[in-house]
Amino acid sequence: MNWKIWALKKSPWVFHVNTGACNNCDIEIVNCLTPKFDVERLGIKLVGSPRHADALLVTGVVTRQALPRLREVYLQTPKPCVVFVIGACACGTGIFRNGYHVEGPVDKVIKEVDPQAIIAYVPGCPPKPEAIISGVVQALSIL
Amino acid sequence: MNRQELNNKLAQIKDKLIAIEQKTDNRIFLLCEAQNAYDVNKFLFEDVGIRFVIATGIDDKDCFEVLYHYSYDRTGCVITIKAFIRDRQQPKIQSVAPFLPAAEWIEREIHDLFGIDFPGHPDMRRLILADDWPEGVYPLRKNLSRDKPAVRKVEPSREVKE
Repeated sequence: MNWKIWALKKSPWVFHVNTGACNNCDIEIVNCLTPKFDVERLGIKLVGSPRHADALLVTGVVTRQALPRLREVYLQTPKPCVVFVIGACACGTGIFRNGYHVEGPVDKVIKEVDPQAIIAYVPGCPPKPEAIISGVVQALSIL
Repeated sequence: MNRQELNNKLAQIKDKLIAIEQKTDNRIFLLCEAQNAYDVNKFLFEDVGIRFVIATGIDDKDCFEVLYHYSYDRTGCVITIKAFIRDRQQPKIQSVAPFLPAAEWIEREIHDLFGIDFPGHPDMRRLILADDWPEGVYPLRKNLSRDKPAVRKVEPSREVKE
C-alpha cells in the first residue's frame, strides 16, 4: 500500500465546505461529532483549514458564487485527498436542477479541476449521521 | 381593534385603492396601483399601526406585482397590499424603506431578481445575486432566456499534484 494512502486512512481530518446547502446536511455533520456518535474517537476530526485536511465534506449544490471558492479549497487541500459529497443536492443538484444560480453537482466541478479526484457520495436529504459514518468507512476501506 | 374598527380604518383610504378583497376571515387584500402604494403602506404602518412582515414580487406577464404583507398579531389577520406596476419596460415603485427600515433588504432582493426600481431607497446595492452576475439580467422574470450567463473563468492558482 502506498504510504500516503496509509497515512490518509489512519486518522482522516476533514474540512467542511458548504457550497450552498440549506444547512440541514451541515447539522447532520455536526451531529456526527456530538457525544452520541462521537467520530473523534475514530480519529475523524473537523479542522479549520483545508491545508490541514485529508478529506473534504462538501454539502449543497454548487452555486455560481461558490464555484471559484470550491475550486480554490480543493486545490489547497494536500493530495491525495478524498472528497465526500454529502446530500442529494451535492450528489446530483436535487430540486435545484436548472436553477439560475446552479453550476452543477459537486463532482462535475471537482473533476474539471482534477479528473483523478477521489470522490465518495453519501446521498440523502439529509443523510443520517449513520449514513455519513458508513460512507466514510466504506470509502476508506476501498482505498 | 376589532374587525369593525379595522374596516372603518380601511375605509379612510378607499380612494387610493382599486378594491378590497376579503378572501377569508383573517386574509384581506388591498389592491392598488403602484403610484398609490407608498401612501397605503404609510397609512397601514403609521396610522393603523400593524406589523410589516415581508414583501413579495410577482411577474404577472403583463404587469409586475409587489405585495406588502402586514400582520395584525392580536387577531392573526394578515393584510396584503397588492401593488400593480403596469410599465414593464421601466418598472418602478416608490420605496417604503425611508419610514419602514425592515423593508430595506427585501426591496434590494426584489430589485435584484425582478429589476423593479425603488426610487427613494437609501442603499440600493446588490444583495443576493452572485458578484459576477451581469447587470440587467433578472433571473425571476418570465421572459428570461434559459441559457445562463457564462461563468467567469478562474484560472487555478496551482497544479494538482501529489
